[in-house]
Amino acid sequence: MEPRDENKEGIGGMINPRRYGIERVAYILMRLSGLGLLAYFIGHIYETSSILKGEVGWAEFLELTQTNEGHAVLAIVIGMCVFHTVNGIRVMLGHGGVGVGKPARPDYPYIPASQNSRHKMGIYSAIVLAAIAMLYGLAVMYGE
Amino acid sequence: MVNKMRESIIMKIHYGTALAAVALVAVHILMRLTQGFAESLEYANVIANYQFLPYAGMLEIILILLSIHGFNGLRVILLELKQGPAYEKAVSYGCVAAMIGLIAYGSRTIFMVNMGMV
Repeated sequence: MEPRDENKEGIGGMINPRRYGIERVAYILMRLSGLGLLAYFIGHIYETSSILKGEVGWAEFLELTQTNEGHAVLAIVIGMCVFHTVNGIRVMLGHGGVGVGKPARPDYPYIPASQNSRHKMGIYSAIVLAAIAMLYGLAVMYGE
Repeated sequence: MVNKMRESIIMKIHYGTALAAVALVAVHILMRLTQGFAESLEYANVIANYQFLPYAGMLEIILILLSIHGFNGLRVILLELKQGPAYEKAVSYGCVAAMIGLIAYGSRTIFMVNMGMV
């Protein structure tokens, strides 16, 4: 008997952005930004614990973040945070049935009602807002 | 218990923690912008923030909300990648353990600074 192809592409299939359009890109960005934000959150908890070492310990750790590299990392975190939030609200609304269209008979070319212009606009808005927030964040960080 | 909870309930918790965290993190960031960004991070300012009880309470709530949301998100990603009873149990319990560890570590900072133990 032929081995059954379970179509398990693993992590390669999960991160392949070439299929299914902008929704697939949003799916990947949502996971990447989620993992990035979790990593930042853990780092932030560790970073803030340096206040227990007193004024010198706090200043030493803060100095590490007040560099060009530190500002760049923080700008990326701001972008991830805004994208994850806006796209997350879109996903929540979609799961609640908002903006996914009405059920209809599946006719050729079988375009899913849920992959409509409203949700695509939501994804593009999330990307644009993330970019604007990153620029604003950089302005604040370098504006001191 | 973690494995017995229905996914629909877990996703409601996931979305609830996300919405609450968005509101509270917005307040946390706005606190940095009420003064100059660098000024707000000065040692004395940060200590004053921690010793202001409502703000310290808010930080504790943010810590709990984001830990639950973050580690449940990680659990979802890992379960999308691979399935199986032993693997799913290991991932679920591992994420809960990591979540409790992070909350404990972050709470230690909040409580110690709030009580003036620095």
